[in-house]
Amino acid sequence: MKKAFVILLAVAAAASLAAGQTAPPKAMLPVLTTSAGQSNDVNALNIVLEEADIKYDYCDVPTPEMVAAGVGLGNKQSAEGFHVESTTDPAKFPKGTPFKAIMVAIGSSLKGMGASGLTIETEEARVKKVLEYCKKNKILVVAVHVGGEAGRGPAGSDNERMIDTVAPLADFIVVTTDSNKDGRFSKIAEKGKIPFQQIGYALGLVDIVKKMFN
Amino acid sequence: MRHPQRWAVGAALMAGLLAAAFALVGPARTETPDLTLTPDSEACTVIMVGKGASVDGSTMTTHTCDCGTCDWTWGHVPSADHKPGSVRKIWHINQYTTWPEGTKWQVAPAKGDTGFSIPEIAHTYAYHHGMFGYMNENQVAISESTIGTVRKLVNNTPSAKIDLTMLSLLGMERSKTARECIQVMGKLTETYGYGFNDNGEMFAVSDPNEVWIFEIMPVGPLWTPESGKPGAVWCAERVPDDNVSVCPNESRIGEIKLEDKDNFLASSNVVSCAVENKLYDPAAGKPFNWKLAYSPAQGSAVSTNGGRQRLWRFLAGCAPSLKLDPNTPDMDLPFSVKPDQKLSAQDVMNWTRDKSYGTIFDPVQGIRGGPFQNPNYYGRTRKISVANVEYTSLVQCRPGLPNEIGGIVWVAFGPQDTACYMPLYAGMNAVPKSFTVGDHFVFNRASARWASDYVDFHAQVIYNQAIKDVQKAQLEFEGGALQKIPEIDKQALDLYAKSPAKAREYLTKTVIDLNDKIVAGWWDLGDKLLVKYNHLGFYNSEKRTRERVNAYGGQWNKAVRMVDAWLEEDAVPGGPGGPPRR
Repeated sequence: MKKAFVILLAVAAAASLAAGQTAPPKAMLPVLTTSAGQSNDVNALNIVLEEADIKYDYCDVPTPEMVAAGVGLGNKQSAEGFHVESTTDPAKFPKGTPFKAIMVAIGSSLKGMGASGLTIETEEARVKKVLEYCKKNKILVVAVHVGGEAGRGPAGSDNERMIDTVAPLADFIVVTTDSNKDGRFSKIAEKGKIPFQQIGYALGLVDIVKKMFN
Repeated sequence: MRHPQRWAVGAALMAGLLAAAFALVGPARTETPDLTLTPDSEACTVIMVGKGASVDGSTMTTHTCDCGTCDWTWGHVPSADHKPGSVRKIWHINQYTTWPEGTKWQVAPAKGDTGFSIPEIAHTYAYHHGMFGYMNENQVAISESTIGTVRKLVNNTPSAKIDLTMLSLLGMERSKTARECIQVMGKLTETYGYGFNDNGEMFAVSDPNEVWIFEIMPVGPLWTPESGKPGAVWCAERVPDDNVSVCPNESRIGEIKLEDKDNFLASSNVVSCAVENKLYDPAAGKPFNWKLAYSPAQGSAVSTNGGRQRLWRFLAGCAPSLKLDPNTPDMDLPFSVKPDQKLSAQDVMNWTRDKSYGTIFDPVQGIRGGPFQNPNYYGRTRKISVANVEYTSLVQCRPGLPNEIGGIVWVAFGPQDTACYMPLYAGMNAVPKSFTVGDHFVFNRASARWASDYVDFHAQVIYNQAIKDVQKAQLEFEGGALQKIPEIDKQALDLYAKSPAKAREYLTKTVIDLNDKIVAGWWDLGDKLLVKYNHLGFYNSEKRTRERVNAYGGQWNKAVRMVDAWLEEDAVPGGPGGPPRR
């Protein structure tokens, strides 16, 4: 019985290693949340931050200029197909304070992109530019995928293109187990030596962001 | 020389034209920020008729499956016995996704396999389905309308195992009554989590005795099954037997009386979920109101410029004596009304064809419908009948008959104004082959839907004339099918007394033959429309003549003259006009 337990522990440890689970990096506020692909997954990400009591700025389709404008996103206002929200505490981070982190919810939605007047090509180009700006300006990039296997799609799909656009440039990748059934994210993490965490449910992200932004 | 008066008239007319053109593209309305559905949402309409509000004592509900790119195919799932320990695979099936390699029901179960399954029950019932499950062998029926919810409740994560399509299939497989269907769907979603592809949704759930409005919402992306909390929040209210109601992508359930079990059913968290999510404050001293908490659609028919006029239109149209005001906010319109006159199946079919003609939202008023008064040009009024409908189902549950014979799903493929309703009895063992094939992107002569589209396409050319030909054909084919029902019932009943299986076989063969004839008739109608209105003319096949078109509405001619007058001053007189323009 004891032997079986030891074997079980060893298997569990091996599985954990195989998944390449690593501790999340330390991150600083203020943080911007956004979407790559305009699926509703960014809604889940925002709710995670609210649950963790972390204030954030949000825009579904920010440009590098808006990111550069820092907290308040250059006073841009929401319009049809374009959403801006700033919950960042102005007492701690006045308007214009440069972002220190960006959290990107990966998930492609034709409906979402259509509502914002985007195609997969224009969305891909936009996201690339934003991430290039972030890398250049040392803004920590966190890639999140909580949409699960059904939110992935086959090779070459819009979702896969978004993963290829965001994940390799991330400083930390966190995904639900369902999203990584085929090891797609862990392989990207391994190849790029990117810290990586796998969680059972979106709820698991609450503790992670608390640790990151503590 | 200037003509100031003419110029002013012309400018006003041009402004009108620009406004009309703008309306075609679609109005830019302000989106309520935290809701998942906008007022002008191109989603589905459900009409409901209680047994005391119909002429024959049947309950009826409809689903206009409004989409534009969705899969329209239908299928039949037979009943089955399952060994102890069997499991039911749970699929995630997006309402909107289609695949080039096959129809939804050939591909979706494999593509949407979640790897998750639930314990199977000993026996599952047979049912017919389209995009959702519509009617099972017990005459339990479902019709659907998306109502949206507050964004914070959306759960698109895989913790939500059951989406709306799957929920409707499970409801069909596991229920003998509407009430049981609601309880089954409620329990499953509470246990396994609801959402993923869907959020705020409404099902009309009916049987021969009752019609219920069942509304369900996810509980947010942070829900886990280990939390011990329900993975969905839902509520159901019974439509009074002598009333009719409608769900036009808006939540319909207001204040609830949970102690009144005859008329209300709900999940245990119906109030607590709202309190936890700060959607309802009990301390405010107001009674809990389901729709205000979970899906507060703002505006009235008038304030949304017709974007939210379906609710007012149907209720006011069925009960003119109530003099319902189109300025009344939709949230304040009644849950249901007693119609001034009881409705027949044909009346309900006609309601699904409604274009709001004669109302302040008339889509062909003035020059809105173009030269041939086509109601599909003007996009501002959100009509019950819209051009992007995949099919419309009318589920009719009739008491006093065995369920296999009592239940009828009437199906009309494509836009209702140019389509023909065809019956499917609950007891049929199969649906016509032509119902099971085709998609939007490849023309298919074997598809019933393409037969409808063929007619619809040719009716658009000179709409105000062609629609008369279509209506004549509807009278012949749809009216003919309605007239045949008593005879089919009688034959099936005679057989049923000897052998229910023989009755089912009879229904299957007879009704498939009937529908095959209707589909063939619709192809023929499409051919005739093509010939008759070819080159914007009236080709008379009997006389072998081509007659002059004089179908323009009087207002259109007037508008053309007014614009001509306005442009007159800027026209360059004379000249050959240059080479032909392409």
